[in-house]
Amino acid sequence: MTENQTETGSNAAESASGSLDIGGLAGVFGTSDHKNIGRLYIFFGLSGGLLALILNILVRFERINIGSVGVLDFGSSNQFFQTWSLSRTTLLFFCVLPLLIGLASYIVPLQVGAPSLSFPRAAALAFWAWVIGIMIHVVTVFTDGGLGEPDPISQFAQGMDPEATELSMLSIAMVVFALLLGTVCVLATIISQRPQGMTLFELPLFSWSMLIAGGIWVLALPVWLSNLAISWVDFQGADALRYGAVENIWDQLSWLWSQPMIFAFAIPVLGIAGDVIPVSSGVPQRQYRVQQIAIGAMGALSFGAFVQPFFNPDVANQAVFVVMGILIILPILVFLGGLADTSIRGNLSISAHLILSVVGVLALLVAAVASAFHVSGPAIGAIQEINDSWLDGLISWLRDVQGTVLATAVMEHVLIASVIGIIAGLYYWAPKIFGYQLNRNVGILSALTLLGGLALSGGSNIINGILDEGDEVYHSSAYEGVWDSNAVEFFNIVGAIGSILLLAGIGLVILDLTISVILRKGNDENVKDPWGGHTLEWATDSPPPTGNFTDAPVVDNERPLLFPAATGGDEQ
Amino acid sequence: MNMATTNLPAAPPARSRNLLVSVGFGIAAVLMYFGGLFGVYLRERSQVRSVGGSWIPDKAHIELTPPGMIIWTLLISIAVMQWAVYSIKRDDRQHALLAVGTTLAMGAMVLVQHGWQLSQMNLVADEGPTTAATLIYTIVGSYMVAFVIGMIFVALMGFRALAGQYSSRQTDGIVAASLYWYCLVFIYFIIWIAVFIAK
Repeated sequence: MTENQTETGSNAAESASGSLDIGGLAGVFGTSDHKNIGRLYIFFGLSGGLLALILNILVRFERINIGSVGVLDFGSSNQFFQTWSLSRTTLLFFCVLPLLIGLASYIVPLQVGAPSLSFPRAAALAFWAWVIGIMIHVVTVFTDGGLGEPDPISQFAQGMDPEATELSMLSIAMVVFALLLGTVCVLATIISQRPQGMTLFELPLFSWSMLIAGGIWVLALPVWLSNLAISWVDFQGADALRYGAVENIWDQLSWLWSQPMIFAFAIPVLGIAGDVIPVSSGVPQRQYRVQQIAIGAMGALSFGAFVQPFFNPDVANQAVFVVMGILIILPILVFLGGLADTSIRGNLSISAHLILSVVGVLALLVAAVASAFHVSGPAIGAIQEINDSWLDGLISWLRDVQGTVLATAVMEHVLIASVIGIIAGLYYWAPKIFGYQLNRNVGILSALTLLGGLALSGGSNIINGILDEGDEVYHSSAYEGVWDSNAVEFFNIVGAIGSILLLAGIGLVILDLTISVILRKGNDENVKDPWGGHTLEWATDSPPPTGNFTDAPVVDNERPLLFPAATGGDEQ
Repeated sequence: MNMATTNLPAAPPARSRNLLVSVGFGIAAVLMYFGGLFGVYLRERSQVRSVGGSWIPDKAHIELTPPGMIIWTLLISIAVMQWAVYSIKRDDRQHALLAVGTTLAMGAMVLVQHGWQLSQMNLVADEGPTTAATLIYTIVGSYMVAFVIGMIFVALMGFRALAGQYSSRQTDGIVAASLYWYCLVFIYFIIWIAVFIAK
C-alpha cells in the first residue's frame, strides 16, 4: 500500500471477498483495520469507564462523615488525592476520549465513504500505545505515584514514591500523545477521504462534530503536554522552578478538567444526537447549516488552553473567561432547538438511542447552565460597576462559589453527558459495529439509571457548591466554612448513591453488550439498516466488509440515503 | 467528437491529500506545544527581571556563536529543502535526493552544535539549579526531539523518493517533509531570539 493506505485494484477485490480477514489473536494484535481498532477502543474504553466510576464511588464515600466517623478512610490526604486525581484522569483518558476516538475510528470512514481510516497502521500504533500507557499510569498511581501530592511535608511518611511519580508523568504523556495520533488519523480521514461531491458542509453531523472536537484537541492537548514536560524536567532536577514540586504538578495540569476546556470533550455528543434524532423522526434534519454552526461555535467557546489558573490566578475574573462560560449555553440551546424542530415535524420512534441521546444533550445543557452560574460573579460585578451597589451580597456569594465543588459538578456533568452520548451512539450503531442490535429495554433502563445517577451525583455537587464545600475535597479545609455541615453530609450521601447509579448504568450497557454481542443473543436480523438511516454508513453491510464499499459512493448532500446524489438535498 | 470523448478512460479519482493534511495537524500541534513552553518561559523571565534579578546565572556561558551558526544553517536548509521540492516536481529525482541528503547533513550539524552548546552553557554546574536552566533545558531538549523526528521524516520521504514513490504526479511526501522542516526552522528562530538573543 502507499502511504495513503487506500485500497485499489486487486487489493479491493481481495477485500470484497473477505480473504484478508485474519481472526484470533493475530487479528486482534496485528490489525490495522479501522473496524477492529474501533471495537478494541470501545471494549477498553468501557472498562476504563467502570474503573473511573468505581474510583469515583470511593471518593464519594470518603467525603461522607456520619457523625465524626468517616465511611471510608484513605489514611492520608495524599492517598485520597491519588484516588481523586486518578478518577479524573481515568474518566477522561481511559474512558471518554478513547470511546470517542474508537467510535469515530469505526464510524467516520463509513460516514465519509472511505475504504479505511487514514494511516491505519498509525491508528493501530496509537491504540496500543494508549493501552500500554494507561495501564502503566494506573499501576504507577496504585504504587504511590500519581500526578503530585497535596501534602508534600509528609510525602515520604505517606508513601509517595518519586520514581513511580515520574513514571506516572511519562505514561500519561504517552497516553495523550497516542490519543493525539489517533485523533489526527480521524481528522485526516474526514478531510481527505471524502467522496466526490461531499463538501465539509455535507458531512454527517457526527463526523462534523469530530472534526471540530478533534481540531480543538489537537490545539489544546499539546499545550497540556508542554505543562507536563516542564513539570517532568523540574521534577528530575531539584525543583528550581517549583512546577515539578509535588504540590504543584496537579495544579498546573488541572485546567484540562475545568471550564471552558472540559466542554471540548463533549462536542461529539451533539453530533451523535444530530445523527440519531432525525433518523428516529424519519425526516431530514432542518436547518442543517445552523446545526453545524452551533457545533462549530461550541468548539470555539471550549478552547481553554489559555485558561490556566496556576499561571493566572485572576483568570476567573477576566472578561474572556466569563463570556465564554456564559455563552457556552447558546450553541447547545440552538442545537437542541433544531433537534426539537425536526422531531416535532417527524414521527418520533422511541428507541434506546433516542432517549440516551436526548439525555446526553440535556445533561450537557445542565452543565452549561452550571458553568454560567459558576462564572456569573464577575459578570454581575461588571453590571454593578455600571449600576449601584445593591448587588454586593449576591456578587460576594457568587465569587465564593468559584472555588467550590460546583467546578466538579460542571466537569462531572460534561464528562457523563459525553459518556451517555457515546452509549447512545453505541446503541444506534451497534448493528453496524457488531452485527447485532442491542436490547432496547436495557438501553432505556440504562438511560434512566444514568440520568438518575447524574441528577443525584452532579446535582449534589451543585448544591454542595452553593453550600460552599471546597473543590479540593481531599483537604480538610474544603469543609471549613460550609453553611450547613449536616446538609453537606446529607448531599454527599446522596452523591454517593448517584455514583453507584452511574456505575450501574454503565454496568447495564456492558451486560447488554456481553449478552447481545459476545454471547450472540442479540437480534441479528435486518441489521444492515434497521433504523432507516440517512447517512452513508447504512449503505453497506453490517458489519461492513474489508474495504467498506464495493463502489466509491458519490454524494451531493448530507443525507445521501434519503436523497441519492441525482436528486440533491434541496427539499427544504 | 462525442464518440472520442466517451471512449476516453475514466478520469482517475482525486488524489488523497492524507499526508499533507495530517502533517498540517502535526505542525499545528507542535506549534501549540512550543507556544505553551514559550509562554511559561517569557512569563518566568519577565517576573525575575521585573524585580531586578538576573535571569541567566552569572557563571553560565550562553554564547551567541553556536545559536548563530545553528540559525544560519537552518535558514540555508530551507533553500536546500525547497530545492528538493522543486526537483521532485520536475521529476529530477537525482537532485531531489541530493537536496534531501544535504538537508539531513545540515540537520546532523545542527544536532552536533546543539549538543556542544548544551555541554558548554554551564547553566547548572556552578550555582545549582535555576528557573532559567529548567526552562531552557525543557525548550531546547523538546526542540531536539522534534528535530530528530523531522530528520527521520525527511529521511523516510527521501528513501520513498529513491524507491520511486514520488514524482511530478505525486509530490506529497517531499512537500509534507519540507513543511515540517520549515516549521522547525521557524520554532528555532523563536528560540534564537527569545532564549539566546534576549537572554
